[in-house]
Amino acid sequence: MRQGVLLSTLGALVAALFLLSLLTGPAGFGPGESLHALLTGQGEAVALVMREIRLPRAILAVMVGASLGLSGAALQGYLRNPLAEPGLIGVSGSAALGAVIALQTGVAASFALALPLAALTGSLVAVLLILALAGPRGESLTLILAGIAISALAGALTSLVLNLSPNPFAVSETVFWMLGSLADRSFRHVWIALPFVALGWFLLSRTARGLDALTLGEDAAASLGIGLTRLRLMLVIGTAAAVGASTAVAGAIGFVGLVVPHLLRPLVGGQPGRLLPASALGGAAMVLAADVAVRFILPDRDLKLGVLMALVGAPLFLHLIYKTRRQLT
Amino acid sequence: MTLLALNDLTVRRGECPVVDHATFRIEGGEVVGLIGPNGAGKTTLMRAALGLLPSTGQSSLLAMGPAERARHAAWLPQSREIAWPVAVRTLVLLGRVPHLAGGQRPGAADEAAVDEALAAMDLSAFADRPATELSGGEQARVLIARALAQETPLILADEPTAGLDPGHQIAALERFTDLARRGQSVLVSLHDLGLAARHCTRLILMHRGRIEADGRPREVLSPDLLRDVFGIRAHLSEGPDGVVFQPLEVIG
Repeated sequence: MRQGVLLSTLGALVAALFLLSLLTGPAGFGPGESLHALLTGQGEAVALVMREIRLPRAILAVMVGASLGLSGAALQGYLRNPLAEPGLIGVSGSAALGAVIALQTGVAASFALALPLAALTGSLVAVLLILALAGPRGESLTLILAGIAISALAGALTSLVLNLSPNPFAVSETVFWMLGSLADRSFRHVWIALPFVALGWFLLSRTARGLDALTLGEDAAASLGIGLTRLRLMLVIGTAAAVGASTAVAGAIGFVGLVVPHLLRPLVGGQPGRLLPASALGGAAMVLAADVAVRFILPDRDLKLGVLMALVGAPLFLHLIYKTRRQLT
Repeated sequence: MTLLALNDLTVRRGECPVVDHATFRIEGGEVVGLIGPNGAGKTTLMRAALGLLPSTGQSSLLAMGPAERARHAAWLPQSREIAWPVAVRTLVLLGRVPHLAGGQRPGAADEAAVDEALAAMDLSAFADRPATELSGGEQARVLIARALAQETPLILADEPTAGLDPGHQIAALERFTDLARRGQSVLVSLHDLGLAARHCTRLILMHRGRIEADGRPREVLSPDLLRDVFGIRAHLSEGPDGVVFQPLEVIG
C-alpha cells in the first residue's frame, strides 16, 4: 500500500475513534448535544463533562497510544527484533516503580502531580542506567541485556515496596494504578505529559533513516554514515520521555508497542522508517478503541484499559512468537 | 590517485596484536585480493581501516568525517544481515543513503544507480520480491548490489563470494574488474585462491596479523609462501586461459 494512503486511512481512523471516545460515557447525553456543548460551552453540566472529563481522556488516549506504538516500532527497528517493546529496556517498569514509591510513601497525596512526576523520575533513572550499562557503542545485545536487568530490578523493588507496606489501602490503590487506565484524568495530566511526549515524538521521528540502514546490520549502517551512538541516544531518550510520561499518567499499558508494529509492518513493506508514523497512528487508534471498549463492556465496573489490552494482546503475542519461531526454523 | 592509505595500522585485543603494523596503499583501478588463513586478521584489518574498530596508526579513511567516508568507501560485511522482509529494490536503495541530505527523497540519479546495480548482479527479476525470501546466495548478491549502488571510489568487501554458485562468483569479480577499469578500486578478502589469482590485479597476503606479501598474484602465490602460510602445495600456471591456480595437497 502507498505510504500516503496508509497514513491518511489511519489518520481518519484515529479521528473517527476520537469522536466516538468523546461521545461515549455514563452521562448519557445525545451526540449533537455533546458536541455542541464541547464547541460552544453552552449547557453547563454537559459542557463540564465534555471539556473536563471526556476531552482530556480522548487526548490522553491519543498521546499514550501514539507514544507506545511509536516507541515499539522504533525499538523493534533498532534491536532488529520483532518481539521488542518499550517495557523491554525497563522504562515502563521503572516508571511504575517511581509511581509505586510515591503512592506508598504518601508523596502522591501531598500534591496532585506528585504521582506522574515520580513515574517520570523512575523512567529517567532507567535511561541513565541503560546508558551506563550498555556502554558507548550501543550494541543490540548489550542493550537488551541491560534492559532485562533493569526490568528485573524495577520489578523486584516494586514487589519489595508492596511487601513492606504497612497500609493495605495504599497497596490496593497501587495495584489498581498499575493495571493502567485513562478514567478520571484531567487536563492537568495532559499538560504534565505533553512536553515529554512531544520531545519523545520529535526524537523518535528523527531515527527513521538510521533504522532503515540498520536493516543491514550495525557495521553496514555505520559504513553508510549513520552515527550509531547518536541514534541510540535519540532512541533511548525518546522512548524514555514518551513511555515514561505515558506510564505516569495512565499506568502500565502493555502490548500496544508490540502488537501495533506487527500488524502494520506488512503494510509498509517491512521498512522500519516508514513503520514509525504508521505505528504512532495505529497505536493511537488502538488505545482509543480499547478505551471506548472498556466503557461499553462493563460500564459499571471500571474495567481497566491495561487489563483489556493484555487480554487482547497476550494471545496475539503468543501467536506472533509461534509465527516467528516457524520463520526461524 | 590513492584511494586508501594505511600506515602502521595496528589493532590489539588485549596485548596481542590482531593486526600488526599494516602498511599499504591502494591506487585507483585496482582489484586487490586480501588473502590469508582463518584468523589472519583480514576482517579486522578492513573494519579498522573503516573506523569500525579502535586502532592505532593511520588510515586515510579515518581522516574523513562519517558522511564523506560513506561517499568514498562502501563496506560489505561478511555477516549477511537482512533484518526485515523489505523488497530487494528498497534494500539496494539503502546504498544511496550517503548521497541523500537529511529528509531528501531518492531522485532519478539514485533510481538509476539502483537499476544499474540490480542489473550488474543479475537481480532485475527479483527487484520487487522481499529480500528475506531469497536463497542465501541470492541475498549475498543483493548485498553486493547494495554496495555497488553506493557508487563509491572504493569498495571493501569481506568474502562476498562465499556461498555463491560458480557463475555468480565469477560474475561478482568481473563486476569488480569493470569498476577498476573505470578507475574505482576494490579491496576484497577471498578464500578461493584460484578466483583471487585470476581476477585480482594484486594480492595482499596476511598471516597472524602481519602482511607477509604484497604484489602480483604470481609472486604472492609462490610455493614458499603457500607452504609457510597455508601449509599447502599448489599448481600454478599461466596459459592462453590466463592464470590457473589449483591447491593440491596439505603439507607439513
